[in-house]
Amino acid sequence: MRNITLSQAVNEALAEEMRRDETVFIIGEDVAEAGTPFKVLSGLVEEFGTSRVVDTPIAEPGFMGIAVGAAMTGSRPVVDLMFGDFIYLVMDQLCNQAAKTHYMSGGKLNVPLVLRTNLGATRRSAAQHSQSLHALVAHIPGLKVALPSSAYEAKGLMKTAIRDNNPVVIFEDKLMYNDKAPVPEEEYLIPFGQANIKREGTDITLIGTSSMVQICEKAAEILAREGISAEVIDPRTIVPLDEETLLKSARKTSRVIVVDEGHQTFGITGEIASRINEKAFYHLDAPVLRMGAMDVPVPFTPALEDLTVPTPEAVVENARKLMSGEMIHAA
Amino acid sequence: MPHEVIMPALGMAQDTGLIVAWHKSPGDAVAADDVLFEVETDKATMEVAAGADGFVTQIRAHAGSEVPVGDVIALIGDSSEAVHTEEGPADATAPAATAVELPKGNNVIMPALGMAQDTGLIVAWHKAPGDSVAAGDILFEVETDKSTVEVEAGFDGFVAALLAEAGEEAPVGETIAVITATKPDKPVQASRASAPKVVPGPAAEISARAAETPAPKPAKAATPASKAAAPVAGTGRILASPKARRLALEQGLDLNRLAETGHPQPYHVADLETLKSLPTKGLETTGAATRRLTAELPSESFGGFAAWAAEAAGLKDAGALLAGLAAASLGREATVALERFGVARVFSVPVGPLGNIAAASLETAPDLIVRDLRASRISSVTLGAEDAPTLTLKQAGDGLAITLECASHQMTAAEAVALLSNFAGRMEQPLRHLL
Repeated sequence: MRNITLSQAVNEALAEEMRRDETVFIIGEDVAEAGTPFKVLSGLVEEFGTSRVVDTPIAEPGFMGIAVGAAMTGSRPVVDLMFGDFIYLVMDQLCNQAAKTHYMSGGKLNVPLVLRTNLGATRRSAAQHSQSLHALVAHIPGLKVALPSSAYEAKGLMKTAIRDNNPVVIFEDKLMYNDKAPVPEEEYLIPFGQANIKREGTDITLIGTSSMVQICEKAAEILAREGISAEVIDPRTIVPLDEETLLKSARKTSRVIVVDEGHQTFGITGEIASRINEKAFYHLDAPVLRMGAMDVPVPFTPALEDLTVPTPEAVVENARKLMSGEMIHAA
Repeated sequence: MPHEVIMPALGMAQDTGLIVAWHKSPGDAVAADDVLFEVETDKATMEVAAGADGFVTQIRAHAGSEVPVGDVIALIGDSSEAVHTEEGPADATAPAATAVELPKGNNVIMPALGMAQDTGLIVAWHKAPGDSVAAGDILFEVETDKSTVEVEAGFDGFVAALLAEAGEEAPVGETIAVITATKPDKPVQASRASAPKVVPGPAAEISARAAETPAPKPAKAATPASKAAAPVAGTGRILASPKARRLALEQGLDLNRLAETGHPQPYHVADLETLKSLPTKGLETTGAATRRLTAELPSESFGGFAAWAAEAAGLKDAGALLAGLAAASLGREATVALERFGVARVFSVPVGPLGNIAAASLETAPDLIVRDLRASRISSVTLGAEDAPTLTLKQAGDGLAITLECASHQMTAAEAVALLSNFAGRMEQPLRHLL
């Protein structure tokens, strides 16, 4: 199978869906000639023209509102939000309008909209361009949230998102745009709500999202050398969440660490840990651990920024504690 | 029809009120707005107005007694003629038949230290009957469900009576001591179990104390010693993972038995294996005269540990280290005899760092014998009980087989299991011993 970058995978997904369905269009800042700062959309305006790859002024609430209206009236907009941090600007359009219109219109209106944006720190982009804010939207009923962990997921999840009749927010990790992964030539879709068991194991379950899947896989390799068999699971979408796969693994290994790049406090690590606690309690041999980003604005200083996110070493250290039966917190 | 004065409900969750003091006596004229009495609840002490004009004709509950909310505690009549002086039925805590005369003085009550506290445990008295005491002196220590608090006497004078013993619980509000201004002739020492009920004389001046010290001192004086002495396990709840608990239940295993051996908590699934290896209670009492247990370790790190200890800590005597780990597995100070290559050495091992181990006379009777057969070709050991429990080490592949033999009177089965488990754990991961 060929290896392509995550950028190329997203680009292919968009091009394929735009060819397949002429109601699909892209709207956002610097999406046309510039092809976004990450060059994800390069070449699309040449093929589909400026009426389907629409550059807007710097006005996030404006173009998000336009997209919601377009989605209600028959189009399938893909909104490009340059940085995940700007999601604060479109909260009303996204959470009060897009998320609730189908429900409040008694099912008469659909909002088949995709909001494409990103997350991830350690790009030296400082506190306002480095946040991982997927927990904010995962909290809102009516929004689906996908977190691709590689080029393969990025393409398959994007195509499913565009065909979904409800609003979907996709967060790509901005540090992974140049990471290559095997992606089939032929068309495929990845259904929402189906977790992917990246690595099978028997002693401990590491649940990772987005780029944290790689962190968990690296941790699993280190643990394997110590004789600890770690299972790595990528939920792929956190709304809907494939609870069954996560619970099955938790029941098998009895120990779980949830790793996510959002802030740990009130983050999705807590949500996933809580569901496992509620539904697999009597199978647990250790408390379910959360590992999120530190609860601080992401520092600009590289030495500090690197400290704020989970690392394979930190995951390994916690896994060892759970394996040895060490008391994590004083009981 | 006289006006009935009832115990008011002053708090949301208040069931009873403690009458701290009466401001009027039977026969006194009283106006509706006059303060008739003071009530102490779990939150505060409050003055309560009479609620009717007239004369106090009867007081049914004395100062110091606790009365359910709604009970009639006094009557106010139109004239002073119908004054009753006998005690009313509401004063249930003071049945006349059991009452004995107590010194008249300031009553010290069990304070309410917490919102939901009903009783307090008297941990210790700091004064004895007859002792002189200043208001600021610590009179006693109380333990509640939250903390241990030192309580000041509140009055200057002499301890005339202690009405509860250390170790006893007393209901909040109950008088547990009496302090008099003059040295008592016959100070009273009683326990709650045997004590006469408190019947303070009518002249008991309780209001003074209540006004000066409406609430006890905050818990700043909680004694650290008593906290440290209450280990996690002391709560009676065994710490175990949910899965370990479920499996123990399914397999009919009793985690209490593991706890009794002193096996360290919290328990996880792996610890159930240790629990399963415990001999059953029946065998423990009727069992054979000799105990023999074997542990097999797939690998051992003692050699590496000894090298590291010599290098890093200057502990060059591997024999002493071995004796140290064995004694530590016993969990107390011990004399350990080490037999290696037919040569016996005796070590005195105190509790604490391995560096403090000292050689002892060969004549000293050991608490534990360690027989190191690692370098020999012997593959199986059944030598029977010696004068002390004996741990035998022999090579088993890359690992180690450890046999514990002892007479049944030397160690209980549970102690033997704990000793061998602990020692095997230390041989497998000696560094854990340091932690």
